[in-house]
Amino acid sequence: MTETQTKPLVVEREDTKPGFAGTSVPRKEDKRLVQGQGVFFDDIKRHGMGYVHFVRSPYAHAKIKSVDVSAAVELPGVYGTLTGDEVAILTDPFFELSVPPGANIKDYALAVGRVRHVGEPVAAVVASSRELARDAAELVVVDYEPLPAVTSGEQALTNDVVLHDDAGSNVVWEGLFDWGDYEGAVAEADHVVKIERLHFDRFSSTPLECSGVLVEYNRGTGQWTLHGNHQMPGVGAIWMAPALRTGIDKLRFVSQDIGGAFGNKICLHPQYVACCLLSRKLNRPVQWTEWRTDQHTANAHGNERTFLDIEVPVTKDGRLLGLSVKAIDDCGAFPRYEPLGCIIWAQVTPGCYRWRNIRVDFTQVVTNKSPVSPNRGYSRMQHLWLTERVIDLVANALDLDPVEVRKKNYVRADEMPYETPNGCVYDSGDYARCLDIALDLVGYDDLETKRLDAQARGKLLGVGIGSTLDSGTNNFGQSTLLNPDLQFSGNNEVATVKLDIFGEIVVTLGTVPQGQGHETTASQVVADILSVTPDDVTVRAGHDTYWNSHAGLSGTYASQFAVTGLGAVKGATEKLAHEIKRVAAGVFGATPDDIELADGMARLKANPEAAIPFMGIGAIVNANNAILPEDVRDVTLNCRYVYVPPFTLPDKERKFGNLTLTYATQVHVAVIEIDPETGVYEIVDYAAVDDCGTRIHPQIVEGQVHGATAHAIGAATHEVFAYDEDGNLLTPNFYDYHVPHALDMPPMKNAAIESPSPFTPLGAKGMGEGGGAGIHAVCAALQDALRSAGGATVWRSCNPYHQVWQYLQDASSLVEVQSK
Amino acid sequence: MRLEGTKALDAPRDTVWFVLNSPDQMAKLMPGVESFDVHDDRHWRANVKIPLGLGGLRMTIDFTKLEEREPEFAKLAAKGNGVGAIMNMETAFHLSDAGGGTEMRWEADVKIAGPVGSMGQRVLQPIVNQQVNNVLAALERQCAEAAASS
Repeated sequence: MTETQTKPLVVEREDTKPGFAGTSVPRKEDKRLVQGQGVFFDDIKRHGMGYVHFVRSPYAHAKIKSVDVSAAVELPGVYGTLTGDEVAILTDPFFELSVPPGANIKDYALAVGRVRHVGEPVAAVVASSRELARDAAELVVVDYEPLPAVTSGEQALTNDVVLHDDAGSNVVWEGLFDWGDYEGAVAEADHVVKIERLHFDRFSSTPLECSGVLVEYNRGTGQWTLHGNHQMPGVGAIWMAPALRTGIDKLRFVSQDIGGAFGNKICLHPQYVACCLLSRKLNRPVQWTEWRTDQHTANAHGNERTFLDIEVPVTKDGRLLGLSVKAIDDCGAFPRYEPLGCIIWAQVTPGCYRWRNIRVDFTQVVTNKSPVSPNRGYSRMQHLWLTERVIDLVANALDLDPVEVRKKNYVRADEMPYETPNGCVYDSGDYARCLDIALDLVGYDDLETKRLDAQARGKLLGVGIGSTLDSGTNNFGQSTLLNPDLQFSGNNEVATVKLDIFGEIVVTLGTVPQGQGHETTASQVVADILSVTPDDVTVRAGHDTYWNSHAGLSGTYASQFAVTGLGAVKGATEKLAHEIKRVAAGVFGATPDDIELADGMARLKANPEAAIPFMGIGAIVNANNAILPEDVRDVTLNCRYVYVPPFTLPDKERKFGNLTLTYATQVHVAVIEIDPETGVYEIVDYAAVDDCGTRIHPQIVEGQVHGATAHAIGAATHEVFAYDEDGNLLTPNFYDYHVPHALDMPPMKNAAIESPSPFTPLGAKGMGEGGGAGIHAVCAALQDALRSAGGATVWRSCNPYHQVWQYLQDASSLVEVQSK
Repeated sequence: MRLEGTKALDAPRDTVWFVLNSPDQMAKLMPGVESFDVHDDRHWRANVKIPLGLGGLRMTIDFTKLEEREPEFAKLAAKGNGVGAIMNMETAFHLSDAGGGTEMRWEADVKIAGPVGSMGQRVLQPIVNQQVNNVLAALERQCAEAAASS
């Protein structure tokens, strides 16, 4: 059970700050959510709407010989169907981000000619109820010719079975990243530690709410309105509109409340396009609500990655000189958001460490598994797990203290901002300080006593550290390091803030909140600038592309709201504040510099009695503007601001540049006890220290840390999407795929430090994706505990009890040291 | 899932061949057969109910004889469809004389897809093993009866 300290430990910054930012004000969203008044897409119904059910492939890989929907169509209450053949005629394939061979893959809304993973949608049935649609789907007869399945990245590389004939290879993307002088590092080293293999398992941060959408088609305007839970509609529209042969503005995305997303709701464009086609074909609104089993089987998993032939040149005192690794990334049957994962990891190339010579041979392949999508900690999590695994395995192999190895190699606080070997800039942080706090919280100094105590009870005790970075605010220019022809760079986010006729302050966001408290934190920032309270600020709930408050890269993803979203809010509010001052100055015959905002009024600094309430300012501009002087009649009190981070284009040749703006720090420490008879283990103590710069709302930050930790503990202990050799998913539901619940959570101790970012408008950093630290903390704790039981190499990211039992039975080491 | 084995049968090879290649006899070998239709001498269809959890798994199985060398070898393909499961199987048997009886060497490659397939081998393997044992026991009885009546 989680036992959070009532007041998290905060150091290095005064608790009291002027204004509302930095305080845990009551969340604006909570009242409607706890009263059951939230509006999720499935709450929205339309007269005469139909319910969509997808007919899904039972095979991992098969040719589709025929699809017969006639029996389903004849069932009373069935409105119609859609097949892959229709989709192939009515749409174009979704564009691919990769260069060839990945660029040649053809991906449609429904399977065309072949299925490539269990659960792939083959046809869709629409009926008057969700249950009837599901029953009717059983009447669709699909004749399959099974083909051999590819179920691992290494198998895919053989190309014995090729998934996409158009590509001619299972490789989506491959490239060599080589920074510094790796051979020089080997020459300088006293030892080269070699690790044969490590594997980051496939899992997903399952959201509470499954995916879905209600689609309405307007025949008169040719426009679709999509009430859904897509978390990145700007990019979704970029995928969907060309496929549907229409314009971006013909797709209106609307959402209010979303029950979690974690990246899984970025790649919904295939299902959404199918629903668009159905609503147009049947001339009625249609709603698709994903079943939980379908969510597990065929929505989006996290990237699975195998690391081979790892080499670490190191000095005898534990100084890390270099890292070389071959990475094989398994992205499932279709690339979709990929191959962006082939570069996203490079945002954190050296992890928290001062490695200068790094070589990564990276290959991404397709397999007959569910396609992946950015999953909380996307791509960096896999790489950071690798770097942390390397630290502990090197320390273990050379009989060094993993704490000391970390401290010796961490980027130091006095080196910030720090440029990594590939040109990324770590903005601020103090990793060693975070580690000290985390160790202190679990009583690290008494570890040996605890170990002996556990031993007396027949248990093996281990302690493990995970120290990771949550890089936030992408520079989309990094995509050009994968495909030089892509026309993406920088980033943007939009907000509008207006002062309405009765003095209401109304904020509209371009982001797509899924529980992160955007309404609350935006109101804090606005309140501080306009000198009002958060209660005086109305932040429109949710997202609507008709609000004109979004840009091409809008959305909620990649740890960036505190920078991009609030940066846009800050910019728009400052514009509004200036306009209010101009109006007041016009009325008083003064200059804007003579005006200050206080207590909901604009007043003369020199004579506070001369004040106009915001209600008056709003009324003058919106309804009584003839009294305004000519030179302020351009004022609208409706201010739109686009925040654009200070990025430049990366160097494509050197694969070098600043790929992301901020770096939040997480240091987690886990203490576990293993029962050596069974492999069952328990996390008996846990500490999480977070540094995400200036915290706008500490309680929301802490909530994110808790959530990310729960995802991490699930991923480290039980959550794995396991497939058999035929490509059947063996863990397609919550019975086999165990997500931790409250009783699975260890006693958790939280602390925070604040190292403000010098690069962002508020000193804040994006955060919330720091779960990778927890995954490694558990792995490292297992490794430590197993030292006295043979010392098997913990080589997988997910280690259920049976895996630990295997380690206890077969204590094979995958680590070798070559010394000079 | 690949299965194989050897079975000694107390009947002459011609008798065993007859049992294994006669659709009527075949129908009696299979577990839970509710109906059996012979389309021609190479294509048969069976509607079966396989005991699996509550209510059992109903499946329609189409058999196609792929190859035969009387009286020593035959190879069959079976494709089954049911709610929640699709089965594909290729099976072959080799018959040889063994004293007065027959030795049957058999193999089968079974693929189960769909939600039932996702239950995995930890659940399916014992069920398949049980069904195979039932089939072999039935075969032994059928052969004994056929031998006695000839």
